Order: sequence, then C-alpha cells, then structure tokens
Amino acid sequence: MEGINYLTVAYLGMITALAIWTWTVVVRSRSIEARLEAVESSIGIDSSQADGIASQSTNDSQDDATV
Amino acid sequence: MRRRVPEIFLGLGFAGIMTTLYLGLNWAPSVSIDAFESPAAQRIFYWHVPSAWAAFIAFGVLFFGSAIWFFKRSPLGWRLHVAGSEAGLACGLMAVWSGCVWGAAEWGTPWDWSDIRLNTFGLLTLLALFLVLGRQSQPDGVETRDTFSTFGLYGFVLVPLTYIATRFWQIRHPGPVIAAGEDGGSLQSSMAVVLLIGALSFTIFIIGHILISMRITHLEQRLEQVQKSLDGGN
Repeated sequence: MEGINYLTVAYLGMITALAIWTWTVVVRSRSIEARLEAVESSIGIDSSQADGIASQSTNDSQDDATV
Repeated sequence: MRRRVPEIFLGLGFAGIMTTLYLGLNWAPSVSIDAFESPAAQRIFYWHVPSAWAAFIAFGVLFFGSAIWFFKRSPLGWRLHVAGSEAGLACGLMAVWSGCVWGAAEWGTPWDWSDIRLNTFGLLTLLALFLVLGRQSQPDGVETRDTFSTFGLYGFVLVPLTYIATRFWQIRHPGPVIAAGEDGGSLQSSMAVVLLIGALSFTIFIIGHILISMRITHLEQRLEQVQKSLDGGN
C-alpha cells in the first residue's frame, strides 16, 4: 500500500503540472487573441504579413540574388 | 470553431491521460514480485513510456521546423520549431521525472550517469530547455532563428541514439517491451491496452499543444507587426 501511495503522489504531481501548463497556454492564447482583435479592428492590418522577420529574410535573399 | 480545434485536442488528450492513470492504477495487472524490487512503482510505466513517445514526436516536429526555417525561411518552419521545443521540453521533463520516481523505487537511485539511454534522453531535454530559455532571452531576428534552428537540426541526432541505446548498450534502463524484434515483448495484452490508450492520449494531447503553441507564435508575430505599424515603422 505504501508503494501505491508513493505512486499516487508522483502521478498527482505530474497531472497537476500538466494541467497548470495546459491552462497557462490556453489562457495566454485567448489573451493575445483578444488583444490582437481589439487592436487590429481599430487600424486594419493584413495577417498574411504577420512574420516580419521571415519576410525581411526573404527580401534580403531576393536582394542578394539580384546583385 | 476552427480556432478551438487545439483546445478540443487538449481536452480529449487530457481526458485520455486521466483514463490511463485510472486504468494503470486500478485495472492493469500487477507485475511479478520476484522480478521487481518495487512492483507497485512499475505502474508509472503507463505514464513514462507515453510521455517519452510524445517527447519524440515533439523532437521530430522541432527537427522538421528547424529544417524548414533554415532552408526555406518559412514562418511555418519557425512556428514548428518553437512549438516542438516547448512540447519537447514539457514531455521530456515528464519522462525524466517519472523515470526518476521509478528509478528511486526500483534501483534505489533516481539517476545513473553511466546509462546511455538516460543520459542521451536527458541531453535532449536539456537541449529543449536551452532552446526555450535561449529564445526568450534573445531578440528575435534572422541570425537568432538560424542559430537556434542549427541546434534543433544537429540535436536531433540524439533521437536515434536514444532509441537504439537500450538495444546496443543496455546498462540499467530496461530493454524494449514493444517492437522488441525477434526476442518478442514481455507485455501482457491488458497491459498493452492501457499502454496503447496512454500513447494515443499523449499523442492527441501533444498535437493539441503543438497547434496552440503555433497559434500563439503566429498571434505574437501579428501583434508585433501591429505595434510596429502603430509606431510608424513597417
């Protein structure tokens, strides 16, 4: 019985950590989504140009190719 | 509805993990008292193996994401890299922690520095930790992404090394019980059912985490773009 208690405590610790991690991620996703929707609706921006660094890198590559 | 797909995956996966936990503790048969020092602790196997499986899925995503970013400069590749490293860290820590709990009960020590499997898997988890913490401490840019993607690409070599470790250099970590080759596995059918439910649940759960993590990275990039627009930049 002692072994099962030990195991139950270990399992509960892991389940709690898993639940906290999942909850944090979901809350973070919803929070950013709400903030973004509020800002984007006020100024209007194209979401396809979201990753400025990737597009910057692509532009740099094209510039290099034309030189 | 489409926005909530990752959350549905997370909910289903979590419910499956709880079911695995219940079945592992209450339904799965006990192992032989003669074969194990701590037969009760063996039940952590139903958590340890699926979490390690999920970690390998995450490390695979990290590898492909790193490669796609490195060779194509694709935003999707970077999102996969970020999601893979975060999910790999979480699942890696779960596998390491559950392994330490079992090792402490069965071997009398939570870790063995001479065991290849333990140490290569530990290194993989540390690599994921480095990628997650490193990314948070560095300004985002092409050079930063290239550097972290390189680590993601080269670090993947530890995955096949970890997989074959118990087949070639079995020191303390138990040998394979599934896909054990000609030796066959030592798993009873009811144990295999619980393990399968666990592996499926962790797979669904980690897919949910990868999807939601990719979504968060995408939203953060959009938010940064909006902030730049508001500041008058491009």
